[in-house]
Amino acid sequence: MIRRSFPALLLYGLGFLLLWEWLRPIEQLTNTSHVGAFIIFLLIAFALSFLHVKWFWQAIIQIVFILFSINRFHYQEPFFQLSWLGSFMGDIVNNLILIGSRDWTRLSNEFRTLLLFILLWLMVYLVHYWLLRRQRIFLFFFMTLIYITVLDTFTVYNAGAAIIRTIIAGFAVMGTLTYFRIIHDEKISPNSSFLKKWMIPLTAMIALSVLIGIAAPKAAPIWPDPVPYLKTAANKGGEDGPNSGISRIGYGTNDERLGGPFIGDDSPVFQYEGYGKTYWKVETKDVYTGKGWVPPGSTPITFWETDLVPVYSIPNTVETAEETAHVTFNPSFFATDFMVYPLGIEKFEKIEPSGGTVFNIDTTKEKITSREKKITSYSVQFKVPKYKADNLRKTTVYQSSDMGEEFYERYTQLPEELPQRIKQLTEEITAGKTNWFDKAKAVEEYFGKSEYIYDQKNVALPKGNTDYVDQFLFETKTGYCDNFSSSMAVMLRTIGIPTRWVKGFTGGDFIAYSQGETSMQLYQVSNNNAHSWVEVYLPGQGWVQFEPTKGFSNGISIDYSTGQSSSSAETPIAPQVKKPNQQQEEDTKGKQQESSFDWNTVWTNVQTFLTNNWMNAALVVILLIILAAMLYRIRGKWFPYVLMFRYRFKKKDETIGAAYMSLLSQLDRFGIKRKESQTLRNYAHYVDSFYSTREMTKFTHYYEQYLYQQNLPEGSWEDVRKLWENLIKKTIA
Amino acid sequence: MATEQMNPAIDKILANIEKVMIGKRNVAELSLTALLAGGHVLLEDVPGVGKTMMVRAMAKSVNAKFRRIQFTPDLLPSDVTGVSIYNPKEMEFQFRPGPLMGNIILADEINRTSPKTQSALLEGMEEASVTIDGVTHKLNQPFFVMATQNPIEYEGTYPLPEAQLDRFLLKMKMGYPDMDEEIEVLNRAQKVPPIEDLQPVVDLEGLQELQKEVKDVYVDETIKRYIVDIVHRTRGYGSVYLGASPRGSIALMKAAQAYAYVFGRNYVLPDDVQYLAPFVLSHRIILKSEAKFEGISAEEVVNRVVARVPVPVRRLVK
Repeated sequence: MIRRSFPALLLYGLGFLLLWEWLRPIEQLTNTSHVGAFIIFLLIAFALSFLHVKWFWQAIIQIVFILFSINRFHYQEPFFQLSWLGSFMGDIVNNLILIGSRDWTRLSNEFRTLLLFILLWLMVYLVHYWLLRRQRIFLFFFMTLIYITVLDTFTVYNAGAAIIRTIIAGFAVMGTLTYFRIIHDEKISPNSSFLKKWMIPLTAMIALSVLIGIAAPKAAPIWPDPVPYLKTAANKGGEDGPNSGISRIGYGTNDERLGGPFIGDDSPVFQYEGYGKTYWKVETKDVYTGKGWVPPGSTPITFWETDLVPVYSIPNTVETAEETAHVTFNPSFFATDFMVYPLGIEKFEKIEPSGGTVFNIDTTKEKITSREKKITSYSVQFKVPKYKADNLRKTTVYQSSDMGEEFYERYTQLPEELPQRIKQLTEEITAGKTNWFDKAKAVEEYFGKSEYIYDQKNVALPKGNTDYVDQFLFETKTGYCDNFSSSMAVMLRTIGIPTRWVKGFTGGDFIAYSQGETSMQLYQVSNNNAHSWVEVYLPGQGWVQFEPTKGFSNGISIDYSTGQSSSSAETPIAPQVKKPNQQQEEDTKGKQQESSFDWNTVWTNVQTFLTNNWMNAALVVILLIILAAMLYRIRGKWFPYVLMFRYRFKKKDETIGAAYMSLLSQLDRFGIKRKESQTLRNYAHYVDSFYSTREMTKFTHYYEQYLYQQNLPEGSWEDVRKLWENLIKKTIA
Repeated sequence: MATEQMNPAIDKILANIEKVMIGKRNVAELSLTALLAGGHVLLEDVPGVGKTMMVRAMAKSVNAKFRRIQFTPDLLPSDVTGVSIYNPKEMEFQFRPGPLMGNIILADEINRTSPKTQSALLEGMEEASVTIDGVTHKLNQPFFVMATQNPIEYEGTYPLPEAQLDRFLLKMKMGYPDMDEEIEVLNRAQKVPPIEDLQPVVDLEGLQELQKEVKDVYVDETIKRYIVDIVHRTRGYGSVYLGASPRGSIALMKAAQAYAYVFGRNYVLPDDVQYLAPFVLSHRIILKSEAKFEGISAEEVVNRVVARVPVPVRRLVK
């Protein structure tokens, strides 16, 4: 037993800290409120335990505290009115019945609180027991670490600080326990000088190791974040759960946390017929959180089929051309609860199924959904802007006459903790440019630099306080559309240019010319074409699309003062996507041909395979040889097990012969070599003196009879098998 | 090899010998080995180290007739074998048996006497009979000779010819006792010599029985090969002028059988062969004179040979 003393108090304090680590994530991860009360409960429990209060009084105090807490959380009546107690008892009975019927979900909050208290009570007792009776805490410490790391990996809980706290507390507890054990085992009188001698180095060691741990460089994780990885393994498709947004699959709606790999998905979303490729918008977002984008709120409006679509359109000051396109959703695509529309949309027409469709639009996000039914196809009437560079270049500075202050602030919002270097970089890039358009162009072109790499897989997910844009711009420089578009939007905002972040689809893949009208083309848009880009608000020009993502082009036409509209090159969007499929098809065809069996073809195939892959084949062969050589080299380690297994089931006494020989060669491998002229008996003495046993001599005695007498007593192998196994095991060590 | 269970009868004999002899257990063991194998022992040693005591103790233990012949240059063969004397009363020649007509004979300083006398002894050892005046007299059985000889370099000696050395199964040295043993010898010398109190452990018939059992000790094919291998290699060895003969092989095997029997085994181990090889073979090989100049002894040569012959550790594939 440990008496009340300073080290004991230390133990209790540290035990409390460890247990506290279990409570911390609860507040963040579950909707448990009043965590403070639970912590106070822990404190009380530890204090009572430390003060050696009689168990009876301990129980009374704790029960009263539990009841008081439950009363405060869940009941209106004051604690001392006691009328609530009756209903609480009734509640407990009800819940016990629910437990009996395994109806977990319907348990009441009061009961859950009670259960948590009881759990904590048990934990306090366990920690108390481990600390004071067993004087061993490692198991609990280790479990705490696992708990924290698992939560850190699989939930949003950030255990960076928790792990340090736990390590310090855990090491301190173990060090203090060792102190007690030494005092007990060595019968040292626990005076203060010994305590000092122990505690000062302990503190120093912990401090040192923690400091080294914090200061040491940390390797980047080798594996991708397991959560998105597991999720994609579990369901391949375009689903986007409420908490995902970490790994991006196709078009998703949640952009609170951007980053992580983008998983390709070939499933077609819709087809459209139009006069050219165009980007299809779904929604816009404008609040940047440092991790991703969220809408500032929602303002739902409904409008009718025949109405003008209530989104920002292109001002009349911009020259436009009227166009229509016809969109047909892929029936097997399930996520069609949104409408896709191009910039400058006017109206939806020819909606199928027809008949007075009502649309919902969230004007904050400009996301349009059909109110009642699933839309299968529709036409869209829209204006195609033909910008004049001179007009675009007009705006140089914000003027409240151009746009409302509220509007300007909304689209230049930035998180407070945004690293300053983003602004510095943007200023460097845009130095020398006077107007907003040129500045935006400069930033757009900045991403064309070779140091920025378009990659959908090796994309970092910002951890901790790392800013999503900052990480991409300065550290990883590798990413896909979300990285590029977010960066551009944020960068322009740092120099006071209003931007918003747009999500939708690119123009997709050209399939065929339209059957009806030859000037129209048919395009297919798949989930792979999900995209994000930037719109910059230029007064008098409206929202102008920009495409910062490497390898993409939005096909916006701008007249650069020459009076001709510049033909913007259509960069094929991810042309490499199609290729593997074609190859696959060819492969399968090839296989089908082979299936008519013909040795010659097999032989030629083998030959071609070898000529094409001889490097790989040679590599494999070399690796196999190396592996075999290594296995052979370390055969002393594994071969005895094979032998033991082999001889375990032998019954015949003659087995002794083979077993003895295998033992000899095993000993030889181990390094106890027998000289050729050394007799077995002599050698056995040598082996026995080496291992300080008598087993080898005994075993050898049997073997001598086997060999030199040609005569063994019945059941000898049974007798000596144990000896043999012991000896052979010794050679493994 | 003390861990092994000795043959009980042998153990008793050895215990008897140990009552009068201090130390030298290995000499006693080897002597018994020779006795059991029906062979003889040649001791190459200086006088006064207890040879007589040991042989007498051994003789007493097996209840055998002990004789001792002190060889001198003027000793005649008839002094060894016995002589026919005319008995005037009976009117005929009567055979008076010589000292050879015992069971256990100590032939002291055998190389001091003339070859003629030596050969009389050696003939008896080999043939187990002596012929005197045309009459063949059978020697007693069992018959065991322990001969001693002074180191060859002594003056006034007649070295035994090789063919006759061959007659001895074992040749060994007794050596001096160490300090403690010699002090113990002094202690015992103050008392009545205990040799008179020794009681026989087996009688002569019993001994013959033991000798028969020795012949049944199993010698595996691998051991025989091993023996032959060793003997063969003495013939080709660099510093050897004349290697051991097939008789050497037989001797080695018989000695090994007896030795195994002494240690209570009914089969021969390579260990027995290895241990006995120098005692059995060293007097059967003749070294080249260069080897003698280099100071290599025959024992050393045999040991070197043994160190080169692989011990059989697995059964022969038939």
